Amino acid sequence: MPRSVVLIALSVIGVMICSAAPAGEPERDPRARQLAEQVRAKGWIAYSARSDNGTWDVFLSRPDGSQSRNITNTPNYEEAAPMFRSDGKKLLYRQIARGSTVSHDRWGFQGRLVIADPGGANAAVVGQDGQWPWASWSPDGTQIACLVPQGIQIVDLASKKVVRSMPREGIYQQLFWSPDGEWFCGTGNHLGVMWTVVRLHLATGKLNAVHKFQSCTPAWFPDSKHIIFSSRPAGQTAGGGYGWTQLWMAVGDGSSEQLVYGEDGCHVYGGALSPDGQYVLFTKSLKDGGGSEDSGGAICLMRLSDAPTIGGASRELRAKHAGTKDGPVVELGQGWEPCWTYEEIGTAQ
Amino acid sequence: MMQVTGPVNPCRRLLGLGLLLLAGACCGSCASRTESGEDAEVTTRGSTEVTARLVEIRGEFPENVNYDYAFVMKYEVLQTHRGKVDSDVIYVGHYNPRKPRAAAADERVEQVGGNLVQFRAGDVHRMALESPIDNYFMGGIIDKYFEEKSDPIYWAIWTNRVVK
Repeated sequence: MPRSVVLIALSVIGVMICSAAPAGEPERDPRARQLAEQVRAKGWIAYSARSDNGTWDVFLSRPDGSQSRNITNTPNYEEAAPMFRSDGKKLLYRQIARGSTVSHDRWGFQGRLVIADPGGANAAVVGQDGQWPWASWSPDGTQIACLVPQGIQIVDLASKKVVRSMPREGIYQQLFWSPDGEWFCGTGNHLGVMWTVVRLHLATGKLNAVHKFQSCTPAWFPDSKHIIFSSRPAGQTAGGGYGWTQLWMAVGDGSSEQLVYGEDGCHVYGGALSPDGQYVLFTKSLKDGGGSEDSGGAICLMRLSDAPTIGGASRELRAKHAGTKDGPVVELGQGWEPCWTYEEIGTAQ
Repeated sequence: MMQVTGPVNPCRRLLGLGLLLLAGACCGSCASRTESGEDAEVTTRGSTEVTARLVEIRGEFPENVNYDYAFVMKYEVLQTHRGKVDSDVIYVGHYNPRKPRAAAADERVEQVGGNLVQFRAGDVHRMALESPIDNYFMGGIIDKYFEEKSDPIYWAIWTNRVVK
C-alpha cells in the first residue's frame, strides 16, 4: 500500500479516535454532560490553540469549553504554553516568531516571555528572545524560576535580577515550582536515565526520582505533595513496542503511583489540576508529543476521583488495569498545555 | 524523472569525464587532509582537543525520531592537542549519534559537526570537546556508565574521523 494512503488512513483514524467534540457541543454521555455542567462556573481555563489566522494564540474558555475566546490574537506571532499565576490575576506564556514550529519539548527555550492580565490585556514582553527559558511562577508570583545550562535561576520580576542560582541536577525541561514553595519538579537525567520525572528540594538541593522511565510533563497538585505526569510504560505492543503515553500521578517521593487516564490509540500529555485538585485537564492526540507541532490535541477534563479511567476499547491497557472506574470525560476542543484558575476573568478584552 | 534520449555529444562525454576526475581528485585531497582529523573546526572549537580511540559503545542508539538525546561513549585518549584531560579514559556525550556528524546540528544544538559518518567501536576520532556536558547541553543523556564512574562527561562539539 502506498505510504501516502497509509498516512491518510492513519490520520483519519486518529481524528476519529482522538478528536474532541467542538467546544460547547453537548456530549453524548449524559455523565459527561453532567460533569460539564458541574464545572462550567468554576473559573476559566487558558490554553494555546491554532486560531483562524493559522498561528498559535492563547485562548480562554470556561472549563466546559464554552465561551472560548482568543486573548492574544496576534497573526505575527505564535503564542503558547500559558500559565496562570496562583492568584489567577496574571498569565505568562511564550511568544515565538511567526511560522516557527512550537516544539513539544523545546518550547520553554523558544521565543520570549510575555506576562499579561489573565484576559490578555497589558501584555508585556519580559526580556529578549531566548531569555528566561522555562519560566514558571513562584508561589507568590513575585519571582519566576528559569532553567539554563548552568542551573536553575530564580528571578525577581520587579528588578529582573537573578536573586538565587542552584544546580539543576540534570533537569533539562518542564521546571515547575510547588505551590508551597519548597520544591521544583521537572524532567531530567537521573542515574544515567533520561526522561525521568524528578523532584528537587529548594532548601537542600537534594533530588529524587518520581518516575524513572519515559516520563515527562510533570505538574504539581495543589497540595504540593502529589505530582501528575505523562508516562509511556514499557511492555506495550502497539507501534512495535513504542506504546501509548498515559497520564499518571504519584507522591513526590515516587511512591503510590497510579494511572489517572489512559487510552490505547492516544498519547496523553499536558496533565494539570484544577485549583482545588478535584478535576484533571489533559490533552490526547494520535501523534506523540501532544501535537504542538500541528494543531494540538483534544483537551479533556475528568474528575480526579474517577481515576483511573480508561478511554475507548483499550484492550491491552484494560488487561493491565482491572477495575478502572471509567468516569466521564468532557472533551473541550483542540489545543495544547491547558491550565486552570478559579479566578473570575472579565469578559471584556 | 526526466530522461535524455539521442546520441551523446563527445564533447559532453569528455567534459563529464573531466568533472569525474576533478571530483575524484577533490575527494582524494579531502581524504588525505582529514587523515589526521585535523581541520579548521576541530582545532579551534571547544576548550579541549584530543585524538582518542572509541573503546566501547555500550548499548544501542535508540531509534526515536521524536526525541533528541546525547549518548555517552567510552574513549581511550591517544593524544591531547589542546587543553587538558584528567584521565587516559574519558567519557564523551555525542548528540543524536545515529546521524552523521555533518547532519547532527539542529535548532536545539547548533554547534556540533564533523566529518564522522558513523560511530564504530575501535575507530579513532579527533574531537573538540567541552566539559562538563551539562554546561553545554540541556536534553536527555543516555549514560550506561553512570554507576561505574564519577568523572565528568565531555560534550563532543566537533568529531572527525582519523585514518591511521
